Amino acid sequence: VTALVTMAPRGRSGLGRSLAELGLLLLAILVLLDGTVQSLEAATSSEIDTHEGKPGTHKNTSKKSFPVLGIKYEDVSVPFEIALWVLLASLMKLGFHLIPRLSNVVPESCLLISVGLLVGGILKLARDEVPPVLSDRIFFLCLLPPIILDAGYFLPIRPFVENIGTILMFAVVGTLWNAFFVGGLIYAVCQIAQDKYSEIDLSNIGILPCLLFGSIISAVDPVAVLAVFEEIHINELLHILVFGESLLNDAVTVVLYHLFEEFMESGSVSAVDALLGLVSFLIVALGGVLVGAFYGILAAFTSRFTSHTRVIEPLFVFLYSYMAYLSAEVFHLSGIMSLIACGAVMRPYVEANISHKSHTTIKYFLKMWSSVSETLIFIFLGVATVEGEHHWNWVFLTSTVILCLVARVIGVVGLTFIINKFRIVKLTTKDQFIIAYGGLRGAIAFSLGFILHSEHKRIFLTAIITVIFFTVFVQGMTIKPLVELLAVKKKHEAKRSINEEIHTRFLDHLLTGIEDICGHYGHHHWKNKLNRFNKKYVKKILIAGDRSKEPQLIAFYHKLEMKNAIQMVESGGGSKLNSTFPSTVSMQNIQPKIHSPPSARPSERALPQLTKGREEEIRQILRTNLQKTRQRLQSYNRHTLVVDPDEEGFDDLILKKRRMMELDWKLKQMTNYLTVPRPQGSPTMSRARMASDSQAYVKPGAENVPTIKIDLASPQSPDSVRLLDEVVQDQGLTMSLPSSSSRAYKTSGKDDGRDQQKLLRCLSDPGPDVDDDEDYDDDEPVPT
Amino acid sequence: MGSSRSSLRGVPDGQQLLQETGFSAALLLRLHQRFQFLDKDSRGHLRSEDLEAELSENPIGDRIVGAFFQPGQETVDFPSFVRVLAHFRPTEKNWTRDGVQPEPANSRNRKLKFAFQLYDQDRDGKISRTELLQVDTTNTYTVKSKLSMKPLNTTC
Repeated sequence: VTALVTMAPRGRSGLGRSLAELGLLLLAILVLLDGTVQSLEAATSSEIDTHEGKPGTHKNTSKKSFPVLGIKYEDVSVPFEIALWVLLASLMKLGFHLIPRLSNVVPESCLLISVGLLVGGILKLARDEVPPVLSDRIFFLCLLPPIILDAGYFLPIRPFVENIGTILMFAVVGTLWNAFFVGGLIYAVCQIAQDKYSEIDLSNIGILPCLLFGSIISAVDPVAVLAVFEEIHINELLHILVFGESLLNDAVTVVLYHLFEEFMESGSVSAVDALLGLVSFLIVALGGVLVGAFYGILAAFTSRFTSHTRVIEPLFVFLYSYMAYLSAEVFHLSGIMSLIACGAVMRPYVEANISHKSHTTIKYFLKMWSSVSETLIFIFLGVATVEGEHHWNWVFLTSTVILCLVARVIGVVGLTFIINKFRIVKLTTKDQFIIAYGGLRGAIAFSLGFILHSEHKRIFLTAIITVIFFTVFVQGMTIKPLVELLAVKKKHEAKRSINEEIHTRFLDHLLTGIEDICGHYGHHHWKNKLNRFNKKYVKKILIAGDRSKEPQLIAFYHKLEMKNAIQMVESGGGSKLNSTFPSTVSMQNIQPKIHSPPSARPSERALPQLTKGREEEIRQILRTNLQKTRQRLQSYNRHTLVVDPDEEGFDDLILKKRRMMELDWKLKQMTNYLTVPRPQGSPTMSRARMASDSQAYVKPGAENVPTIKIDLASPQSPDSVRLLDEVVQDQGLTMSLPSSSSRAYKTSGKDDGRDQQKLLRCLSDPGPDVDDDEDYDDDEPVPT
Repeated sequence: MGSSRSSLRGVPDGQQLLQETGFSAALLLRLHQRFQFLDKDSRGHLRSEDLEAELSENPIGDRIVGAFFQPGQETVDFPSFVRVLAHFRPTEKNWTRDGVQPEPANSRNRKLKFAFQLYDQDRDGKISRTELLQVDTTNTYTVKSKLSMKPLNTTC
């Protein structure tokens, strides 16, 4: 061990290399610890024995010196090793991203499997035995749930539900087809291919084991799909199709697996059994979903009361989800579907209830756990490959691989042909190719194979591993260039602006209305009904306080604004905040108190009766925000953390701050500045906004634009005021009349309260480095 | 199409509508039945109240109803009804513009025009700022008579 320790501080060149070395060091520690320390242990224990063996003599004679430094490894061996594995996995992940060339060519999953192979090889050489790390219990209970929960919580509901028919078809019918096709044909191959030189007699493998094998191997794996698809950024439709299929086919896999296992035990199949199988499939799928939904509602309900103990809010989310998974597993229901249902059901309500920090915590924890899990799974796959004894039978292996591919292609093409008759947006050949090619197998298949009790377990396992390797390596590596080659539509990177959101909803209403006129109970009709039911009953129960009543748009907007405010303050500058921010946001809670007139007063007419204040506030919000705002809803990408909107917003922020400083500097020189170009968004947008805003300012008496008075000194914002006050510094850039009038147009008409102005002055203070004179684009001139 | 031709007898301008809108005969028949259902007094044409009854809970119901009626008209007869609904058929890819035939109702252009008209309430050919704002605000509230406002869900 000392030799290893001295080995460490050498070779500093290259970060990647040193990390790799660190990783290897950890490996070595892992390997040798068990060996050497055990001997040490034996030594110490024998010492203790002798110590206690002769109590009498010991006290007088050779008294052992007090053990200043001792080693007791066995007590901490298990957590120690686990920690080492996780550390290894994370370091590997780090290392890969530091070597950009490699990570562009090879998907991460391949690299991780290779590392696993390497580690497995080293362990085998060192100790001639590899710990069975990918035992099914560890996999199904610890490694898989975080990934699935991450996927389910951030599942993009809208595209998922819109394509649910297609996804179900692929998941259910496609998997069934695959299972029977592969199982049946592999049996045929086994019967035909009688290799006299091989030690395995293939014809021994009965039809049922073959079908079982087929059912294991046919399921598309969500972990592998996620890992590979996230790096290729294809368009949302394809992503959700393949990914949704990989999630939902778990039900099918579970049923088929148990079914065939039962059949193998009992030895015979009857028609009744087949029927029972069908029934059991429905039970497994629907039961899983129901269990998940139940726990999801529980979680939502619990989160309603957590306003005083914000710290443990994320814990509830995780615990309820895990309980959903485990409960489903108890009853042999589909745990994956349960987890997805739980996450998807609880999310809208929980997000309305929990604090901003809790939301961030949940997001980051989920990403972290799922990332680590995924890494570990792939590494363990590599290790497990080295571990088992393999029965190589070339006929079996190659035919399995070929059959899987063929089955997948035929299945996808056939199903698409049928599905396209019912779809409005048809699936093109390119889409079909990607879907077929994206059918990756992964660790779930391996784990299911691992727990087989069949006598042919070894050969099945080998074949499964071969298929997994083939799909992950070959398909995983080539899918990216193929996507480029075929010019498949990529993901639309920008997030939806509020503007798009509104118009999409407009069109939704339109389509619902047309459906109503035609008397057609279509997609939109049911969605509308669900929304209305949600509004009326569910939200009242599950969302705390008066947040259930306020328009979602406003609540969403306020959260956004608060996040903006926090970031602005944190970035050290007092650059101007969004104008409506001070009105309602407090640092602790989002308790909008806009409505001084109670908006709950019933109105008699059928037209939308908004209180003037509300309506104007909404108008205000919309007017000043027809731009791309950061939404905190879309983060189902595994690597979102790298391109986190918060981080890109940070650069935005710095830019804004600088522009604000230049602006204020300009303002000093102008006296009669009616409107201020807002330093956000594209020049076009700002121009458009400005045009509208200047109009608003110039004609305050115009019919649709009454003046708005937003009470800045509301009791809710003492915190915010205090924080901002800290930022105020006397820079000599006092804001005189121009600034106030320029700022004021946003918040009020001609009536400026004195305190309003003061606060605005604080807000517009540029911050410490005002002398920075940088050269940037002049904002467009002000139209009058 | 012999049999369907005979069953279209009850439909005014049935043949011509088939060609014009591209609906299948079965669909046209169904729409006719629906039209008759909505037309409670069997007048042969619909008034705005008939349509509004279906759209009472839709925040843009009045706009949709308005889209059916040509400016100045009080009633809509079946051919107009079908022509408006023809906008909602899926676009056909093989349609090429040859200048001779009028653009079919389900072409992208016509769809866009239809949507534009929903925004452009005063039909001056432009969407003014106020019109846009109206759309924006009505979208955030549902219409519910006699009760408090029910805000709409932002879909995630």
